[in-house]
Amino acid sequence: MSDALGRVVATERKPNTPHEFHFWTAIDSPVGIGTIVRVDGAQPMDGQIPHIYGIVVEGFSYTDLQSPMHDVLGHDGLPTMAGYASTERAEIRLYTAAVLRQIPEEPLQPVPMGQVFLAEEADVQIALRMDSYLREGANTGIPIGVYRAGGTDAVIYLDADFLLGPEAAHLNITGVSGLATKTSAVEWLLASLFKHFPEDKGSIAAVCFNVKGPDLCYLDQPGKVEETDEVLYDKLGVEPKPFERVEYFAPYTAKGLALNTFRNNEALLDNVTPLTWGLREVLQFAEVLLNKDDVDAKADALIDFIKENIVDKEFRDPVLTKTHRVQSFSDLDAWFRDVLQGMEKKDGESWRTHHVATIRKVRNRLSNISTRCAGLVTDSGAVSDLPFGSFADRTVYVVDVANLEEDAQDLIFARIVSKLREHLERRDLGVKHLVVFVDELNKYAPGDGADTYVRKMLLDIAERGRYLGLVLFSAQQFRSQVHRRVVGNSGTALFGRMDADELSTPGYAVLSLATRTKLATLEKGQLMIRHPHFTQPIFVRFPRPSVMQGREGAERYPQASDISLDAAILRVLRPLDPTITLPWVQEITALYTEEEVIRARNATLLARPDNVKAYFAAQFRKIVPVQTPARPMAASIKSAPENDPYGF
Amino acid sequence: MLVSNSGPDTQSRAAVRLLMQRLPGLSPVETGTSKEPIATADPPILRSAQIVEGSAVRAIRIPGSSRETASGFGGFLDGTQTVQVVAHHQGMPIVIGSVSAAVRVRVNRRMTTWGHQPPRVERAMYLPLRYIPTLTAVDASSVAAQANCRIVDTSTADRNGEYPSQHPAVLLDRAIRAVDQQREELEDRLAEAWCARGEAPLFIDGGISRTASVASSTCAIGVIKSHRTLYVQGDALAIVMGLKRGERSSIFRVAPRSRSSVLSWYLRLRAPDGHDAMWGLVRVEVAECDRPSERADEISRWVMAETTPLSLPDGRWDKMAYGVRDCEEFLRAIS
Repeated sequence: MSDALGRVVATERKPNTPHEFHFWTAIDSPVGIGTIVRVDGAQPMDGQIPHIYGIVVEGFSYTDLQSPMHDVLGHDGLPTMAGYASTERAEIRLYTAAVLRQIPEEPLQPVPMGQVFLAEEADVQIALRMDSYLREGANTGIPIGVYRAGGTDAVIYLDADFLLGPEAAHLNITGVSGLATKTSAVEWLLASLFKHFPEDKGSIAAVCFNVKGPDLCYLDQPGKVEETDEVLYDKLGVEPKPFERVEYFAPYTAKGLALNTFRNNEALLDNVTPLTWGLREVLQFAEVLLNKDDVDAKADALIDFIKENIVDKEFRDPVLTKTHRVQSFSDLDAWFRDVLQGMEKKDGESWRTHHVATIRKVRNRLSNISTRCAGLVTDSGAVSDLPFGSFADRTVYVVDVANLEEDAQDLIFARIVSKLREHLERRDLGVKHLVVFVDELNKYAPGDGADTYVRKMLLDIAERGRYLGLVLFSAQQFRSQVHRRVVGNSGTALFGRMDADELSTPGYAVLSLATRTKLATLEKGQLMIRHPHFTQPIFVRFPRPSVMQGREGAERYPQASDISLDAAILRVLRPLDPTITLPWVQEITALYTEEEVIRARNATLLARPDNVKAYFAAQFRKIVPVQTPARPMAASIKSAPENDPYGF
Repeated sequence: MLVSNSGPDTQSRAAVRLLMQRLPGLSPVETGTSKEPIATADPPILRSAQIVEGSAVRAIRIPGSSRETASGFGGFLDGTQTVQVVAHHQGMPIVIGSVSAAVRVRVNRRMTTWGHQPPRVERAMYLPLRYIPTLTAVDASSVAAQANCRIVDTSTADRNGEYPSQHPAVLLDRAIRAVDQQREELEDRLAEAWCARGEAPLFIDGGISRTASVASSTCAIGVIKSHRTLYVQGDALAIVMGLKRGERSSIFRVAPRSRSSVLSWYLRLRAPDGHDAMWGLVRVEVAECDRPSERADEISRWVMAETTPLSLPDGRWDKMAYGVRDCEEFLRAIS
């Protein structure tokens, strides 16, 4: 056992309580804010020496100087003279520690006087109640980082039952932007989860929404791992390597040629799947894109009518010139056109109780969706989606929405999360537990502002997701500005370096001033953790993720610039059939419009046929080559005799 | 030397309770009355001393004294005492005296307790057994054993065989003088132990002439802050009172009866402008040596160097070295 490093002290002015105590140490002791200590009581209770575990939350230092003026006088007002004093003043290091745990736990009494020791690894496990889930048979510990103080290096574990449910769930990360803390922490935690999540608890996967920059775009590429990080990886029992199974999903650009993602370099396209939806998929979430000003009760009724009676159904009506089967935005527009023309012919103002103005308005708004979400929503109705129903264990699914308009981002988020939820409810997603990572919660679930569909969904996950196995890992810069029910339902909270303004908000009042100061100056790779088992926040270090960082990836795999249609087709088809060449693509597509070529590409990508060339070529309509007809020889006109102008 | 005036502590109260069981008429004093050492009541006097440096006392500027001067002191010795009248029996004062002494050494400019001799804390009950006949010597011994303190009889006969008066003030004076002597004994024992090891020069708060081994040691330097006895007369007095900051007097020899002879000089630590004449004035005592002038200059530089940091808020900060204050604060904490 190490030597005592301090002694508990208590005065009438500063008494010890069951939740807080004070101790002093030598000036050079390795104690600081966040250090975990153990107090060994002097008097046994029921034959047992009490042990109290605490974490340092405040520190004081002072000398026997009664007034600063005395020091000024003592050195004749010259600070440089102070260095010549023969003696340093008597000085104290006095610390306040918050109690983490008392053993025995009953009766709960004020902390007794006693010696203070630096907590060793075993002490840390007891102090943080990790012993309950690290014991033989339980073993639900997920390493989150290493606690370091003095010579102690202790692995800190989160309890999987409290991180992914069913006891508690969800995780929220706060930290200033630009320090790579939030994304790095999530990447590291996912790696640790995939490695340590107990097999007997079932399969697990993650869906990450990449909402900005290229940070999540290279999860399958190896990154730089420093020597110090390797030590941490070894200690934490995780191999420093990139994720083995990552699937990327991204919509096309508005032109529809290239994928709208930072990861559209040809070398990385093998696990990138286009994300495209048609009318059916979008109409279900029209509410996301149409705000309340757009959709009043009348418009809502018409949309419901369309959803229930028009889409994917044979629809006949005396007003219409033909039978419609609406499967795409193009079909829908044709249907609207037919309805409106029919009403004009009859000079009617309403059709099936829907006023012509309402019909025009809904047509305008719905048709507009394919424009606003171009690249994601296809007129043709082609669908390429996440593999709902066949999610694979320990796989990360990244949906890159970083370059999309806000509407498209909202639509993607709302639909994917809804589908995930539906499948988890039916237990047919493919995995038992699913982590959904969403950054920029300040934007998607703000504490104030309009009650958007996305915010409602996030609230729903936060409040009910854990029963389904749907766990929200969320991140933001300003926790105080996120909806309270979202952060409040996060059982685990991580804090990186914080902004001073944010720390001054009431939500952080429970932290001591010293802890807040430490939070404002945290280095990269350091986190403060709150977890249901920990009665006080704990500071840990975590290793830099062993995946390629966004900036490095963007440099090594530059984003593809605008390319020609032929090159775009070649790029997406060649992974399916390496024998495809640019001249072949040019020959096949030469006679067709851009829209037709893209439609053929989408169909081929969706079908992934054995014979790619044949399938792709079969998507085009037959065109008879244009043959210029030979000009028929006209009978020669007899020339009129000069003397007979009438030809007689 | 620190004189505490705190009320009776737990141990004192326990001793009084034990005594009350044997002396039914004992009246405890609830608010402990602290008494000053008897020396402060001695009348101020001027004494002549043999001048060692030159033929007359003069003011000498200490050469080479500056703020950058390093002090050669390696440790500081001081003692404290508390004298409390805790009860009286038919007017006879019953006193509990507590004395302590410690050496604090300086390591890397920080003060710490000397490891070779632990600090001493002793406690005794002073009572006039002769005038409390109902309390037998056996009873007194029993109380002492249970209260974990010595019993000192303040009514014993003096060298001439005369018993003290029954006047409570006389008996109280005797108790105070006994406590005072007890503290000096503790200090002397520590000083002897330090000098026996021949360590670095020791800054002793007070004189060094009480014991021969200390008075003759080059390790012991006494610095006296009180000047009830001034070893200058006539013109020399004016010269000493007129010393400026950084000046010392000529060296003279102090040879009190029953004590060892030592060399001494006055030293002005702080400018007295606007203060009384004794402001910042100390008297330094060292052992006899071959080149006293050089020794006095060197020691004076060291003592001057000890004027920072200030020993405020102690009222004697103009004369007190910070190391001595540290000793007193340490003893206050442990006694």
